[in-house]
Amino acid sequence: MSTDVLNLNLRVWRQAGPNATGGFKTYRLNGVSTHMSFLEMLDVLNEQLIAQSEEPVEFDHDCREGICGMCSLMINGQAHGPDNATTTCQLHMRRFKDGDTITIEPWRAAAFPVVRDLVVDRSAFDRIIQAGGFVSINTGNAPDGNAIPVPGVKQEVAMDGAACIGCGACVAACKNASAMLFVSAKVSQLAILPQGHPERNTRVINMVAQMDKEGFGSCTNTSECEAACPAEVSVAHIARLNREYLRASIFAEA
Amino acid sequence: MNALLRILSLPVHLLAKVPGLGPFVKVLSTTVGQKILMALTGLSLCGFLVAHLGGNLKLYAGEQSFNDYAHALHSLGPLLAAAEVGLFAMFALHIGLAISTAAMNRIARQKDYAVKETKQGVFILPNGGASNWMMLTGLLILVFLATHIMDMKLKANPGVDYSAAMNTEKIVANEYHAVKAVLSTPLNAAIYMVGLVALGIHLSHGVRSALQTLGINHKRWNLLLKLGGILFAWGIAIGFMSLVVWAMSYKG
Repeated sequence: MSTDVLNLNLRVWRQAGPNATGGFKTYRLNGVSTHMSFLEMLDVLNEQLIAQSEEPVEFDHDCREGICGMCSLMINGQAHGPDNATTTCQLHMRRFKDGDTITIEPWRAAAFPVVRDLVVDRSAFDRIIQAGGFVSINTGNAPDGNAIPVPGVKQEVAMDGAACIGCGACVAACKNASAMLFVSAKVSQLAILPQGHPERNTRVINMVAQMDKEGFGSCTNTSECEAACPAEVSVAHIARLNREYLRASIFAEA
Repeated sequence: MNALLRILSLPVHLLAKVPGLGPFVKVLSTTVGQKILMALTGLSLCGFLVAHLGGNLKLYAGEQSFNDYAHALHSLGPLLAAAEVGLFAMFALHIGLAISTAAMNRIARQKDYAVKETKQGVFILPNGGASNWMMLTGLLILVFLATHIMDMKLKANPGVDYSAAMNTEKIVANEYHAVKAVLSTPLNAAIYMVGLVALGIHLSHGVRSALQTLGINHKRWNLLLKLGGILFAWGIAIGFMSLVVWAMSYKG
């Protein structure tokens, strides 16, 4: 059973508050089961820190099954760790070797200020969604699901965009801290579906404006976001956003 | 960075005051609009490269043919001057936008990671492929361009012996011999080769990236677009490089 246990060095970013100066602190954590998830490993670290009367490491998490988008973490320079198409909570310690040093950092972006330790404020994403990432239904009952026909292929492409969980890994991985993959996933999803059509022009203009206002970078088509995305959102959505933006800028009535 | 951005955005503020240009400036003040303009200017400059290479390949057709072409081009007069102003504006826009968006992108990251890795596959170039080399290759192209204008347009490079191209009044008149004199100077040939390799790398990402920015991306066409972009980039770069090799090895 000894092979199922890891002794690790954890190099963790510690920062007492938004305006405090942060820095790395290294902790030794022994006896980590390879069956643990990465977040469970951090739980164990925090138990150890609390036992030593130290402040536990703050990190974001919620569902721990890869759908809520709350967990984050830059693990050894990879958003959500080394695996493709997974979130940090889905990463298991069997992915690491005994004696490894693991560097854990928060997402780094001007638009995602550090709240404490590994927790960043991602409400910039909420404000972008509030700027246009919705379909207005102002009155009446919910319409019948089958009243508006949507071809199967379109449903699939829209769903590929809707798969975005809003975790911010795209921003974290992008060398420009650009939010284009996130914004494009929502713009694209709603532009494809008939329900999104009435507001498609104002949506793209307003969401891009809010994205810029929040201070995200611009897209250099490096595709680092696509590689880092736990929901496998494709940069084809970014191309669709660009089309929507051009279309709306030139032809929109208002 | 912030001061740099403020200086670079000055022409935009002036432009916004021109009647009719308000909506245009509004579009261009967003990151997406700026990238679209970069894509359009980049692709236009690619168009210029095609025309330029096409003309230059006449060097292979001999002295008479190339000089006739050069003469025909120069006799366009004001039309040529207008084209040159247009080209200069394209370059200025492309470079200005590159600097301003790069500065914004640096500000957007705020703090670098202690460790940064990628999940993308292996690239031929280190550090994540041509897309991460656009600034450096762009800068090398600019240095090359400055040398090139001094050599060929102004014929003012002190390191080049233009005597073979001069007429009886000591004016450089024979473009064919002028080109050969410039390209066969070892230092120049080296600068040109470096500049052209940089151009190949720059375009191998630039063309495909520009199309993506203009919204052209479809899984049915992506492989063709990707390969076409790379083929175009190196076709142009190698086409020009062949002229340097030709001038270096040509006797007579």
